Amino acid sequence: MNFGRNVWILLRYWVKGRFSRTTLIAILLGEIAFSIFVLFAGSTFLSFSSRFGQGGAQITEVSWSLVLGFYLIGLVQSGFSGAGLPVSSADVDYVFTSPVKTSEMFAAKILLNSIAVLFSFPPIFLLYLRSTFFYGTPAVTAIAAGFITVVFFLMGLLLSADVTLALRANTGRRMTAVKYGFMGAILVLSLIPIALVIPGAQTSFLSNFIRLLPSGTVAEITVGLVGGLAISLERYIFDLSILSAWLVMLLFIGTRLSQRQFYELLQVTDSSQVDQSKDHVEVSKLNPQGRSVWSVVRTKERILMNRTKEGRGQVFSALILSVFLVVYALAGTFTSSPTSFLFILSIIGSFGSGNAMSWIEKERLWILKTSSISLRRYVKQVFIARVTPLLLYLTPAIAAVGALLIASNIGKPETLLGISLALSGSIQIAAITMGGSMYFASKFAQSSTDDIISLQAQDMTNIKRIVLQTVINLIMVGPLMVLVLAGGWLTGIFGVGSIIPIGVFLSMVGVSYTVLLLNVILNGAGDSINKREDL
Amino acid sequence: MADLNIQNLTKKYGQVVALNDVTLSIGSGEIVGLLGPNGAGKSTLLKIIVGILRPTSGSVVLDGIDVLKNPESAKRIIGYLPENAALYTGLTVTEFLQFVGKIRAVADSDLDSKISEALKAFDIEEKKNSLVGSLSKGTKQKVAIIASTLHEPRFLVLDEPLSGLDPKTQRFVNHWISSTAEKGVTVFLSTHNLDIAQDYASKIAIIDRGKIAAVGELNSLRKIANAKYDAKLDDVFLKLTSESS
Repeated sequence: MNFGRNVWILLRYWVKGRFSRTTLIAILLGEIAFSIFVLFAGSTFLSFSSRFGQGGAQITEVSWSLVLGFYLIGLVQSGFSGAGLPVSSADVDYVFTSPVKTSEMFAAKILLNSIAVLFSFPPIFLLYLRSTFFYGTPAVTAIAAGFITVVFFLMGLLLSADVTLALRANTGRRMTAVKYGFMGAILVLSLIPIALVIPGAQTSFLSNFIRLLPSGTVAEITVGLVGGLAISLERYIFDLSILSAWLVMLLFIGTRLSQRQFYELLQVTDSSQVDQSKDHVEVSKLNPQGRSVWSVVRTKERILMNRTKEGRGQVFSALILSVFLVVYALAGTFTSSPTSFLFILSIIGSFGSGNAMSWIEKERLWILKTSSISLRRYVKQVFIARVTPLLLYLTPAIAAVGALLIASNIGKPETLLGISLALSGSIQIAAITMGGSMYFASKFAQSSTDDIISLQAQDMTNIKRIVLQTVINLIMVGPLMVLVLAGGWLTGIFGVGSIIPIGVFLSMVGVSYTVLLLNVILNGAGDSINKREDL
Repeated sequence: MADLNIQNLTKKYGQVVALNDVTLSIGSGEIVGLLGPNGAGKSTLLKIIVGILRPTSGSVVLDGIDVLKNPESAKRIIGYLPENAALYTGLTVTEFLQFVGKIRAVADSDLDSKISEALKAFDIEEKKNSLVGSLSKGTKQKVAIIASTLHEPRFLVLDEPLSGLDPKTQRFVNHWISSTAEKGVTVFLSTHNLDIAQDYASKIAIIDRGKIAAVGELNSLRKIANAKYDAKLDDVFLKLTSESS
């Protein structure tokens, strides 16, 4: 009786703390954005699968199994970084010092996470609904598939929580081998389903093998439902039994681990931060002798990015982007249609906005503001240090999709002009969105020493920042998108013979616009730091 | 050495008046302690002096330089140590100090030797290649102090320099403050530690609800507060800030 009462009290307390009005607004905006993305990506994939999968749903099942497998890997990674069961300082101060049992805390945390998981249902349901239209299956199957997927997400959170609970203080380094072994095993098992799409493969053997992981089981059930695969009722029941077994096992392990280890979560180092273990030493890489202050600023920024694994994150993002773009290009949806070009522009460009927050969070504004350096120039140097690797990582993605598109449009000069302008424009857009996001981060984002704005006020400020940033970034990159469309119009007016001068002219206009705009927004970012009073 | 003249300084955050018509003078080579209850406006005053905040009205003149009109020149001669100084945790101690030295225009020829000497003086030489994020609070404070003085400022502004430090490090920092002042550097520090203010400051300024309640040596503060001739600073402080019951 007391168990349930304590869990209920904790749950109410944590729900109140977590789901404030501003958080709910953020969740709503996130749901809308994620739904749009999921529908876009889903439609692209369905076009791709109908082109290369002989119209069947098997390729969809294999791909979905892979996506869910990678989701599991991500959760294992976050589990090892201590984020599987997040513990706040308020938990430490008020809950951990109370006579509440650790198993009650665990139950309340898991229930809280379960509420958060429910928010993933709408976009997932939309994805399945889109699939039912494509495969011509009843819409009601999307509800069942969505429910099964939410159960899978919950299972993933349990797995992540179990991994975190299994950690002990200062075991981060010793656990590295275990961590990569674990993730590697999931990766290998997740990749096995690829064999299913190879002609002549032992389908029945492999389809049983897939179910070693819950991701494979869930993919089979959900795609079986929405894709109308010929799966017997017995098989569905068997799959659901496997899924339930996974769920119960992970819950059992978590409950057991929570009785032993819960308090030690506080000692687990977050891997997103710099490794701060006591013996961590590095040889100085700044080497300031004989170099200008701006060169030192750029080097400092690169050192911080590398030590906080930002660079690695960019590489992974660029890889995922490359795969998506290649799938998009192969799907055949990228035709001569202007909207396709604009889609490419916006999706590549959006990669620029991601790391502005990482910059401001690591910056120490009091040091800069009490020195006599120009903050406008400082921000520009930081921008150069951050944008250079981003553009280098994006270039292979752009080259990959460019090669496919150019090869399939040889002999269509107008389309080739559009493709060339779009691909080069995407680099400029990435730079502009990064500059724009740095401006909004410098104006609104919380700095490390911010002691004036309360947490909830900062939440609201963050929402305001993200909305403003998205709208203004889109407005700023608008002219570059117009240039892509202008290529087609101008070729229509002056003829195909003038295509090269038109291309050169439009490229020069685009580059000039980008350089001028970046100068203005980065000056604005420097001025914003100068005016900030929250440090 | 540098002197400071603050005239009619007011700072408002919307309807909240953080500083209300503050006027204060500090002579060259003095150590002045700034005392006040929480929220009295100590940090706001210090942040305006070092150029982080802009006042609503009033002036700050440091060694003849108007801090508000010519902040770049003023910043060259000011050293600032904030309360709970946040440092670049992803840099090593040496990298951090090299970076700070560079942006504070310390000559290349002097930079490495100055860092090396300072690390030795502060007894943290063995930490030179450690990441700042891995240091203890006391060592971080020492690194922050070195960073605030690498460019050899003539005027030093310290905001709660002893906050959260253990007794050993507190003693070290106190000794450092007095030895710095002996070299002719003017020191303006805020503190809640009344003993430190009594022992080290040549003059004490008491601020309450954004206004300077009293300035002077301990004896003159006793007179202003109508306190006994041997009253301790904490009694005087409580009388002047209306906190005594």
